[in-house]
Amino acid sequence: MGHVKEINVLIIVFTEMRDKLRKWREDNHRNSEQIVDVGEELINEHASKLGDDIWIIYEQVMIAALDCSRDDLAWTCLQELKKQFPGSQRVKRLAGMRLEALEKYEDASKQYDSILQDDPTNTAARKRKISILKAQGKSAEAIRELNEYLEQFVGDQEAWHELSELYINEHDYGKAAFCLEELMMTNPHNHLYCEQYAEVKYTQGGLENLELSRKYFAQALKLNNGNMRALFGLYMSASHIAASPKVNATVKKANVKYAAWATNQINRAYQLAGRGTKENKCSVKAVEEMLESMQITMS
Amino acid sequence: MGEVELSCLAYVKMYLHACLFPRCSVNGLLLSSSPAGGAVCVTDCVPLLHTHLPLAPITQLALTQVDVWCAQTQQRIVGYYQANACVSDSSPTPCALKIADKIAEQCNNAVLLMIDGGKMSPDYRVPPIVMYERKDTRWTLKDKHTIMLRQWEETRDIASQLLDSGDHSLLVDFDSHLDDITRDWTNQKLNAKIAELASPANASSIALPPGGGTVSIVTFTWSSSTARGRQQNINSLSINHILLENSPEWRNNG
Repeated sequence: MGHVKEINVLIIVFTEMRDKLRKWREDNHRNSEQIVDVGEELINEHASKLGDDIWIIYEQVMIAALDCSRDDLAWTCLQELKKQFPGSQRVKRLAGMRLEALEKYEDASKQYDSILQDDPTNTAARKRKISILKAQGKSAEAIRELNEYLEQFVGDQEAWHELSELYINEHDYGKAAFCLEELMMTNPHNHLYCEQYAEVKYTQGGLENLELSRKYFAQALKLNNGNMRALFGLYMSASHIAASPKVNATVKKANVKYAAWATNQINRAYQLAGRGTKENKCSVKAVEEMLESMQITMS
Repeated sequence: MGEVELSCLAYVKMYLHACLFPRCSVNGLLLSSSPAGGAVCVTDCVPLLHTHLPLAPITQLALTQVDVWCAQTQQRIVGYYQANACVSDSSPTPCALKIADKIAEQCNNAVLLMIDGGKMSPDYRVPPIVMYERKDTRWTLKDKHTIMLRQWEETRDIASQLLDSGDHSLLVDFDSHLDDITRDWTNQKLNAKIAELASPANASSIALPPGGGTVSIVTFTWSSSTARGRQQNINSLSINHILLENSPEWRNNG
């Protein structure tokens, strides 16, 4: 009797592990240490039960292993995949990623070039080449290559977002804003793009950009009223506009109202958060005082 | 120029911040609970961001909030730290210089600290940090003889312990706080854990040697580096001062 129960427990454990991996795969999580933990056990103990799933798990675990400097595990996975899919471009790319992880960038680049010779439309290989430039700190080149890539593959959201990040790091806010505009156009319900766009506009500065930033912070809040960055952003942009000597009385009044509304929302959120936990009393107090000290008064 | 001392608490949290987000650039503020004037004692730090470091709104927000908290807790912002995502490059970015400039407006011997990602292995002999100070209007490399970290090996071990036990995930930076405002960016919980692990001697306040002042600290560190590991009869504290690389005494001791 106990023996059967034992097996049932093992089966449950196995299915849980396999489902966890699937979920992480589908959500594209980069929790590499966990993937390695679960994946390694699954491969070592339960390979026979996985059926055809095993190949995609090998791929997932290999990438996670590279992320954790587990070259031993990555190598094992790669060998299994090479055996099963000789000559596959997808496996070639994985081999290239391993070379990247070992910082053998020249060899990795050659690997990707050979993929592109056979298949010039292989987007994965092109993106890996751009990642190599990024890893080497060659931002200007990475930006140039990524721009070329996007001329061909205009719908690649991931690439647009990567480009916006590269521009932000180069302090080229105008171009970063352009990338985010593309993303907002194709993803109008994504509050994160609105909020990032607003942050870029705020950083660019000047009254016009501040007003734009306020509008987009507000839009982000409309899409997700739990976005604290957007709430604080709305508060700060409205406060700065209201305090600007260049605005007329109507605009000033309106922005004072926006700032006051945001203050209320922030206070409420922090009070809700502060309930019951001693831990964050400090942060709650700091916010309260900050909001008080930044009160804009009508003159 | 001015001496700077880095406490165990500040170092460990900075280090863990960089470890918690290994693929991102991270930054934070260095705080001091000592009065202004004389040596700069960095007694704590607040980890700030791991995304979009160059963007203004959240940085401004964080600076303001930390300022307020410092006023409430008798601390001052005395510096800024950053670890770049690109491990091979530990030079200050334009945004690091900008924020450090802002801090220097309020605190004239402010420090800019870059974490050197390439030297962060757990058994590294010296702290993986590079410090800058403001001379005229430029940030220049600080003379390594003026940077002190008490009980370096112990500090390093505390950081490793917290990494191994997974407790580094307790660390909350300002970015994480904005994702979930119930999380505390002043890190009271983690501070308590670090204090537990630190030795009693380390937790005591900074004691300058008798007749202390900037000059005697410098000579004091020179002599203690040659006597590393031996009991120091200075205010009954045994202090292992670690001088960063390239000091002649350090090289002689191997």
